Amino acid sequence: MNATTIRVLYIDDEENNLHAFKASFRRQYEIYTALSADEGLKILENVSVQVIIADQKMPNTTGVEFFKNIKHTYPDPTRILLTGYTDIEALADAINHGDIYRYITKPWNDLELHNSIKNAYDAYKSKIDLRNKVAELEKTNDELNRFIYSISHELRAPLVSAMGIVNLVKMEGLFHSSGEYWGLIETCSNRLDYYIQKTLQYYKNNKTISENTAVDFKKLVSDLIELYSYTDKDMHFNVNITQNEPFFGDAFRIEVILGNLISNAIKYQKETELNKNVNITIEVQPTQVNIAINDNGMGILNEHLEKIFLQFFKSKINHGSGLGLFIVKEALNKINGKIAVSSNSIEGTTFKITIPNVK
Amino acid sequence: MLSKYKRVMLIDDNEVDLKINSKIITISKLFDEIILCQSGEEALNYLSRNLREEDKLPDFILLDIQMPEMDGFEFLEIFKRLPSPITEKCIVAILSSTLDFGDIKKAEANPHVIRLFKKPLFPKELEEVLAKYL
Repeated sequence: MNATTIRVLYIDDEENNLHAFKASFRRQYEIYTALSADEGLKILENVSVQVIIADQKMPNTTGVEFFKNIKHTYPDPTRILLTGYTDIEALADAINHGDIYRYITKPWNDLELHNSIKNAYDAYKSKIDLRNKVAELEKTNDELNRFIYSISHELRAPLVSAMGIVNLVKMEGLFHSSGEYWGLIETCSNRLDYYIQKTLQYYKNNKTISENTAVDFKKLVSDLIELYSYTDKDMHFNVNITQNEPFFGDAFRIEVILGNLISNAIKYQKETELNKNVNITIEVQPTQVNIAINDNGMGILNEHLEKIFLQFFKSKINHGSGLGLFIVKEALNKINGKIAVSSNSIEGTTFKITIPNVK
Repeated sequence: MLSKYKRVMLIDDNEVDLKINSKIITISKLFDEIILCQSGEEALNYLSRNLREEDKLPDFILLDIQMPEMDGFEFLEIFKRLPSPITEKCIVAILSSTLDFGDIKKAEANPHVIRLFKKPLFPKELEEVLAKYL
């Protein structure tokens, strides 16, 4: 016998049947037999079997009753019920409450029973495999969550310290004291920080279940403008928000979407433009919100328009991460939003978004 | 030279950040005196030791979240049970590099925290908040 010996417990009050079963199958399986449910239970306590066959008609405890009793204590072994033709009621009961895999009528046919045991074992095995896989995935998931948490803190904390030092250097008037080195350090640090933030956004967008709360667009947009226009004070914002009714949606994803688009509008300006403009128009309706974000920046080349939402797409002229718009699109997909873009070098770029109001 | 406000307490397990942030506060002349604590315990000890000495208590506390043993939230739990002269006098803001949504939500929901500053600390941001609360 090889390593994958199938252990079968057969319970029947007729000893002849037990003998016959052993005679037919002892070469294929490791067989345990019991004359009653009580005896069967004792065997289960000591041996882990994969398949249980029980006769329905037994004094004291019937096969179905036995299966019902062990449903919670021994949920894993696959169950086969042996029964006469007429026991329709027992069968219904067995299927509804005893969690049986198959029933076999007596007298059994050796080949049929053999196949049933083999199939029952396969069912047992897939159940266990699936459970192991689920446990494994849960563990991986848990580790990933902790990993992300440590990215958001452990990995970022020293970077942020370095950024703090650069700020100090500026405050002490030493920023230009070493040629352009401090500036380069600042650029690198900001870039790394940007990647960490985008990675987290992407991950959170994938993992987090949508949670709908009230969204106040006026507050959200003014917070985001304050956050991203920090570096560029001579930018002019025309914000036009009409919100006469409550809007409910996924606040986290909406913030990610608007944040990425607003920061792009600020970032990709023409250097020569004296009158840098970003126009944000938001109109809340009962069924959806319409958002338009327009800038008079450098614009997007026509042949690039189709690719801008792809992961890691970057154009040669501007130095993005290739993640911002990809994340915007992914986040919109999760909340059934839509996005359209039009752009040319004269009028700049306009993104139009609709997001359903789920109130 | 006299600064705008008297005393600030920095609580952070990270020595580098303590150094950076105290330097930023010194240069921007926001406080006369800076109390540095490397852990929540150290800060609590200082506060309870100087319970009755008005001129030793900080007006403002900048608290880090992730610290070993006692984190920022645990510190706040004990802090809020300190006698009222302290809890009334000392205004607490969090200063953290966290991007974790849970941490941010928790900090914003805490009634004893007036503001969550993200590292790196910008003196201008700090100044605006101080003008509002002190």
